[in-house]
Amino acid sequence: MTTQRRLGRLGLYGGMLVALVVFVGPFLYAVLSSLKQPSELNGVVKSFLPGTLYTENYTNLFRTSNFPVYLVNSLVVAVVTTALSLLIAILAGYALARFKFAGNRLLLLSVVNMQMFPAVLMAVPLYKILRELDMLNSRTGLTIVYVTLALPFCIWMMRNYFLTVPIEVEEAALIDGCNMFTALWRVALPPALPGAAAAGAFCVVNVWDEFLYANTFIDSDENRTLSVGLNSLIGQYTTDWGQLLAGGVVMTIPVVIIFAFLQRYLTQIAGGGVKG
Amino acid sequence: MTLTEVKHTPAGPSPAAASVRPLRQRLTALSPFLYLLPALLALAGILGYPVLDAMWTSLKHSVPTDPSADRFTGLANYRAIFGNGAFWTALGHTGLWALANLVLQLTLGFGLALLMHQKLAGRALFRSVVIIPWVVPSVVVAVIWRYLLDPTSGPLNQFLMSTGLTQEPVLWLANQATAMPVVILLSVWKWTPFVAVILLAGLQAIPEELHEAAMIDGAGLWGRLLHVVIPGIRTSLTLASLLTVGYSVNNFNGIWLFTQGGPIGATETLTTFAYRKAFTEFDFGSAAAVAVVLFAGLFIVSTAYFFSVEGRKGRKL
Repeated sequence: MTTQRRLGRLGLYGGMLVALVVFVGPFLYAVLSSLKQPSELNGVVKSFLPGTLYTENYTNLFRTSNFPVYLVNSLVVAVVTTALSLLIAILAGYALARFKFAGNRLLLLSVVNMQMFPAVLMAVPLYKILRELDMLNSRTGLTIVYVTLALPFCIWMMRNYFLTVPIEVEEAALIDGCNMFTALWRVALPPALPGAAAAGAFCVVNVWDEFLYANTFIDSDENRTLSVGLNSLIGQYTTDWGQLLAGGVVMTIPVVIIFAFLQRYLTQIAGGGVKG
Repeated sequence: MTLTEVKHTPAGPSPAAASVRPLRQRLTALSPFLYLLPALLALAGILGYPVLDAMWTSLKHSVPTDPSADRFTGLANYRAIFGNGAFWTALGHTGLWALANLVLQLTLGFGLALLMHQKLAGRALFRSVVIIPWVVPSVVVAVIWRYLLDPTSGPLNQFLMSTGLTQEPVLWLANQATAMPVVILLSVWKWTPFVAVILLAGLQAIPEELHEAAMIDGAGLWGRLLHVVIPGIRTSLTLASLLTVGYSVNNFNGIWLFTQGGPIGATETLTTFAYRKAFTEFDFGSAAAVAVVLFAGLFIVSTAYFFSVEGRKGRKL
């Protein structure tokens, strides 16, 4: 290795270090701060690392705030949203991948367009619809909205995966006496499961992140999801940063786990347009 | 509507083509629509209808408290918002916000993607942790940074004051001069890893031989960057640019959770402006008009995105 290349490598490691400090540093510091005592958090006692591992921020979060309620609400909404979206998207994605019909291209164009819909455009009409259906301030109403918002991406993802599954296998299954529906579930779906996993992750992450609709449609504390719930704690306890940061850390854990499992599909999730 | 199956086999009679027949026999022209029906119903009800309703509402006087008071007022809402200085300020902020996000995220994202692509020790770990800002929910990003930037207990201000760089704490998010640059930087912090992941996919698709060939031709680092890397990731660059513009213009959380468009409108974009019209001033008609203007602009962006993505796939449908 020449000196020049060695210097180049050193530069690259330096770059990696800078990137880590910039992009991971603030998050890491927040995790550390969530384990600090109030005096350390307020800066009365100056310390970078927590003096002792102070877990009371976490226990307070679960004992004295409504955080557990928000967590359960988010979990329920996320699970139902994901299940419904996947079911509908598998059927639709299969049809789009297997049949070519007039309007197919137009449908795809609208699917992509829907990915970029301004949430604000939908806020007013959706508010009116939910009001008509008497579903304002309900988790069911919120779930219906989330399913539909997740659908374009999920359909797109499933369609792309079904395109890579050879049609011959399904045809063989049909000859063996399967019907179309069984052929879809038993033969075409298993190889397309990675797509379903990525689409499912998209649903969960979106429900976890969504703030605008949850903030607009839900107005009672017992129906709040995590994003609005955590944000409401800011107003309530302006100075209790320990509890807020602990809440942030707890809220981030499920998302980090999902992304860790889906490392390999990261580029597809990004390319498909996860940006909540 | 006409219906044919997608051809997966070469034209002409072949064993595979013969086995297509049972499938075709079982298909009526209706069956694909049966598969699509649940999706179509959901999309029509919760996406299609609301868009039309938003357009219709933008032509009406409409308030949330009294649905029966709606009345058609033609283009009055549009005239009102176009005559409102705050709308033009918000439009200017949207432009600045989108442009700054685009330029910064693409430049930094490209650098980060190059780092993620290097064959260095610890690459897998680096790749999985450096995307953390993208993965962390927006509300948590807001909590973290509002703590870090807090005037009294925030570590940044304490550091600045203990070193004597400032005498008074800097109200990063409450000062008209700093609020916009700060929310832009925070949005760049959150979304740069996302852009990097898209560009990384492009980098990985460049064949190694191209680099070797360029090196044999005597191309240096810059030469390879200009003639191999950048042309090689052109599609990813287009995709990332369009997504960044589209999502930035739509980004509500990135502003609302930090400043709610303030102080005194310093970070008000069309998105927060429309939201405020609807749910603070309770003027659904004007809010819908702003949203429709926003939508029209984004429609152009996402249509361009569609053709760039489909073009890359060789128009295979």
